[in-house]
Amino acid sequence: MNDKKTVKSGIVTGKKKPVVSYIILILWTLICVFPLYWMFTFSLKDNKEIFGANVIGLPQKWLFSNYTVALSTGKIGRCFLNSIIVTGATIIITVIFALMASYALTRMKWKGRDIVNNIFMLGLTVPIHAALLPVFLVLSFLKMTDTYQALIVPYTAFALAMAIMIFSSFMVGIPKDLEEAACIDGCSIFGIFFKIILPLMRPAISTVAIFTFLQAWNELMFAVIFNSQSEFSTLTVGIQKMSGAFTTKWGPIGAALVLATFPTLIVYGFISKKIQDSLIAGAIKG
Amino acid sequence: MKIRKILSCVAAAVLVSGTIASCDKSAGSDGGKKAEDVTLTLWSISTESDSFHSAYVQAIEDFEKSHEGVKVKHETFENESYKTKIKSAVAANELPDVFYTWAGGFSQSFVDSGKILCLDDYYPKYKDELSEAALSNLMYDGKLYGSVIVSPVSLMWYNKKIMDKYSLKAPETWDDFEKVCDTLIENKVTPIATSVKDKWVLAMLHDGLTLKSVGPDKLQKCLLKDGVSYSDPDFLASAQKIRDLVDKGAFIDGAAGLSNDEASAEFYTGNAAMYFTGSWMGGSIVTDAENEADFEVAPIPVINSSNAKITDFMGGGSDSLMVAKSTKNADLSAELAFEITKGVSKYGYLSGAGIPAWKVTYDDSEVPRLTKEVANYVNGATSFTLWFDTLLESEDAGEYLALLQKLYVGSIKPEDFQKAMAAQLEK
Amino acid sequence: MDKIRSNKLALFLFLFPAALLFTGIIILPIIMSAIYSFQDWDGMTQAKFIGIGNYKELFTSESAGYLRTVGNAFLLAVLSVFIQLPISLGLALRIARGIKGEKFFMTVFFVPVLLSTVVIGQLWLKIYNPNYGILNIALKNLGLESWCHTWLGEQKTALLSVFVPQLWQYVGYHMLLMYAGIKNISPDVIEAAKIDGASDWQISTRIIIPLLKPVLKICVIFAVTGSLKAFDMIYVLTKGGPDHASEVPSTLMVSKIFLENRYGLGSAIAVTIIFLCFFFAVLIKKCIRTEED
Repeated sequence: MNDKKTVKSGIVTGKKKPVVSYIILILWTLICVFPLYWMFTFSLKDNKEIFGANVIGLPQKWLFSNYTVALSTGKIGRCFLNSIIVTGATIIITVIFALMASYALTRMKWKGRDIVNNIFMLGLTVPIHAALLPVFLVLSFLKMTDTYQALIVPYTAFALAMAIMIFSSFMVGIPKDLEEAACIDGCSIFGIFFKIILPLMRPAISTVAIFTFLQAWNELMFAVIFNSQSEFSTLTVGIQKMSGAFTTKWGPIGAALVLATFPTLIVYGFISKKIQDSLIAGAIKG
Repeated sequence: MKIRKILSCVAAAVLVSGTIASCDKSAGSDGGKKAEDVTLTLWSISTESDSFHSAYVQAIEDFEKSHEGVKVKHETFENESYKTKIKSAVAANELPDVFYTWAGGFSQSFVDSGKILCLDDYYPKYKDELSEAALSNLMYDGKLYGSVIVSPVSLMWYNKKIMDKYSLKAPETWDDFEKVCDTLIENKVTPIATSVKDKWVLAMLHDGLTLKSVGPDKLQKCLLKDGVSYSDPDFLASAQKIRDLVDKGAFIDGAAGLSNDEASAEFYTGNAAMYFTGSWMGGSIVTDAENEADFEVAPIPVINSSNAKITDFMGGGSDSLMVAKSTKNADLSAELAFEITKGVSKYGYLSGAGIPAWKVTYDDSEVPRLTKEVANYVNGATSFTLWFDTLLESEDAGEYLALLQKLYVGSIKPEDFQKAMAAQLEK
Repeated sequence: MDKIRSNKLALFLFLFPAALLFTGIIILPIIMSAIYSFQDWDGMTQAKFIGIGNYKELFTSESAGYLRTVGNAFLLAVLSVFIQLPISLGLALRIARGIKGEKFFMTVFFVPVLLSTVVIGQLWLKIYNPNYGILNIALKNLGLESWCHTWLGEQKTALLSVFVPQLWQYVGYHMLLMYAGIKNISPDVIEAAKIDGASDWQISTRIIIPLLKPVLKICVIFAVTGSLKAFDMIYVLTKGGPDHASEVPSTLMVSKIFLENRYGLGSAIAVTIIFLCFFFAVLIKKCIRTEED
C-alpha cells in the first residue's frame, strides 16, 4: 500500500523499500529473539555448560530437572501469586490515579498547574537506592511493612510520574471541541472525563499498563527490604533466593526466569493487541 | 522565572519537613511486632540452595523439640542484598529477634547504634563448648554481642592433576610458589584463577600474602589501628607480589571482568591450577567440579619466615548470629542464638559445608575429605586473623577493596597502594 | 465551559489521590535525603551535622571520582538520545506505517524490555567473556584477533561495553511509546497527505513527527533521566569497575551508602542525581514546545 506513488523529491522510491525494510527488521528481530533462545537453553544446562563449555549451543544433556528444582525450592508458586497480586493492584491504582491527575493537569484551568506538573516530574528523578531507607522509614511509621501494601504503595508512587507524563502527552492531543460539545449537551466535568476522555485514552492506558507492569514485576530492592516474611515474597525475591551464599547453580535460576518471563510475554501480547486495536479509537477523533 | 518559583517552593517544603522527618525517626522505635504465642524470627543468608540450609533446618528442629511451645520462623535472603537489608532494618528498627551477621567491623555500627542485645549473661552456660578466643571478633568494648557459627579460613586450593603433570608440589614458601607459577606459565597453563570484579576474591589472596609477610601480631594491630601503621615496610611486600603476579601473567585472562562464579568455574574445569578462597570451597568442589579427587588444599605460602609461619591463617569466626534488643523474648532469643549457632556448626561440618567454631564433641569420621583436611589445618593453626574487609569498618573496607582493584588493573603502583592504605587507616 | 474546567471540587478529587501518594513516597524521601546529605551519618548511629562537607568532598576529592561518574552518565544520556531514540523512531515509523507482520515485529522488538536485567546481564557477560565470549570468538573467526579485548575488564573498553546492552535493551521501550503515539494520530490526516502526493518520507518528517512531539518529548525526558539514574545493568556487568572505569553516579552512591556506610555522602550524590535529572527534565520540557495551551 505504500508503493502507490513516486514523488517529486524522489528521496526514496516506493518499490524498493519493503525489501530493505524487511532485511533490517528481520536482522533486528534476530537480535531481539536471541536472548529468549539463550534463556531457554540456559535453563536446561548445568553450571559447567553455562560457564564456558557450551555458551550458546543447545544443551548437551537436556536438564528438565532444573525446572523441577525451580518449582520445588523457594515456594515459587506462592511468589508467583504474590507478584500477580502486587503487580495487578499497582497497575490498576496507577492507571486510575494517573488518569485523574493527568486530566486535572492538562484539561482543567487552575493556578499553579505548571508547577504541580513539574513537581510530579520529580518522580522520574529519584534513584531507587537513595529512596530505600526513607521509604522504609515511612512505611515502618505507617506500620505497613510485611504487607502487600508495602510494595503496592511505593510501586504506584514511583510509577505515577511516568504514567502522568504519558497520559498527559496523549490527552493534549484530544481536540477541545469534543469536550465543548459534551459540555453544551449538559455533561458535568465527571461526565466529560468518563464519557469523552477515557474512551480516547485506550492506547495510552495500554502503554502505561505495560510499563507499570514491567516496573513492578521486575523490581527487586524494595521487595527485599520492605517485606521480610516469605509469605509476601515476590518472584524476583524468590528467584534471587535460589543463589547460595558462595556458590550458585544457575540452571534452576534460568528455569525460574523462564517461568517468570512467560507471563510477561503473554501480558504484553495481550496489551499490544489492545494498542493495535486502538487504531479504530484514533479514527473517532478528528 | 518558573524555576525560581519552584526553588522557593522546595525551600519552603524543606523548612516544613524538618519537623516531619524528625518525628519519623523517633516514631520508628516502637515498631516491634506482637507475639501472643512464642514465635521467634530468625534471619539468615542460608537460602534453600545454600550448603548450610539443611544444617539450619536440623538445628531449628532440635531447638523446637527441646523447647515446647516455641516456634522458630526462619527467613532467608540472598547474600548481597541481605547486607543492604540488614543495615536498613537496623536503621528503621525492624530487626527480627535473631539475625545473621558478620563479626568485626561490619557489625560495629549495629552495636554502636545500641540496637543489639549484649550476651554476656548468657555465655557462661556455653563456655565449655565455645572458646572465648572464637568469639574475639564479636567482642565490642569488652562485651559479647553475638555467637559464632563457623570458623572459615582462606587457603590455597589447587588442581593436583595439573600439578602432578608438571611434577610440582604445593609450595610452602614464596620462592617455591613463584617457581610453580613460572613452570605453569612456561607450559601455557594459567596458574591462578581469581575474580577482581568481585573484589573480595582477590582480597583473599592479598590478605593471605600480607599475613605471611607481616605476621599476625603486627597485622592485627595495624588493622585495629592499634599503634602499627600500614606504612611499615613489611606491608609493601604483598602488594608488590600481587603486582608481580599480574605482570607475569599468573592470573587468568580477564580476571578484572570475571565474577566469582565465572572464575571458580574456570578452576573447577581445570583451566587454572590454583584458586585462593575460603574453606567453603571444599563443599563446592564436591558438587561443582567434575572430579572431586583431582583437587587438594594447602595453606598459603610464607613470604617472610621471620614474621609468619605456614600455620598462621587468615579467617576465623565471622559468620554469627546476633540478638536484637527490641526482641520481646530476650532470654529465649539469646538461647536460640547460641543453640542455633551450635547446631549449625555441627551439622554444617558433618555435611562438609564449613569448619566448626564450636568444639567437636561428636563423631566426625563421615565428614567429606577436603573439609576434613581443612579442619585439620585449623586444629593445628597458630593464629587466626580476620579478613581485612571484615575486620575493618565498612568505610575502610570499601576503600581497601577499591584500592586493591586499582592495584590489579595497574592504575596505582604498589607503593601508592601502601601509601593510600596508610592514609585511609589513619583518617 | 471555563466554569466547568475550573471546578474546585473536581480538581481536588482528581488530584488528591495521586498527590497524597506522591508526597509520602517521593517528596518526603527527597527531603529526607537532602537532610541526610548535610550529615556525617553511617545510617544507624547518631548523625552529625557537617554542613556542605559531603558536597565539598564530592566536588573536590579525587578519590571519590564523582565528577567522572557524572561525565559517564552524560555520555550515556547523549548516546541514548542520539543513537537509541533515532533507532526506536525509525522502527516505530516503519512498523506503524503498515507492513506485513506488524504485530509480530511489535511483539518481538519489545522482548528485550520484557526480560529482566538479570537475564540480559548474564547474556552479555557471556558475549563479552574474554575466553569463550561470543564477541571475541566472532572476531577471531573473522581474522581480527587484534581487535579482541577483555571487554569488561579493560579500562578503555569497559564503559562503552556496559552502555551498549543498556542502549539496546530499551530501544523497544521507546519504540512502543512512539508506536502508540503514531497510532493515536488520526489516519485521516495521513490519508489526506497521501492523496496530495506526499512520499512516505515526507509524511513521516512533515506530518507524523511534528504531531508526535508530545510523545517524543517524554521519550527524550525518559531517556535522559533514565541515563542519569542508570544502575542495574552496570551493576550486573561490572559493578562500576575496573577501577571506576564504568562507574556512574548511582553505582557510586550505592557503594558509598551500602558498602562503606557513608549514608551522608551517598545522600549527597542522590541529591545531585535528583537535581540533574530534574533540571534536564524541565529544560527538555521547555525546549521542545508543544501545543499545550
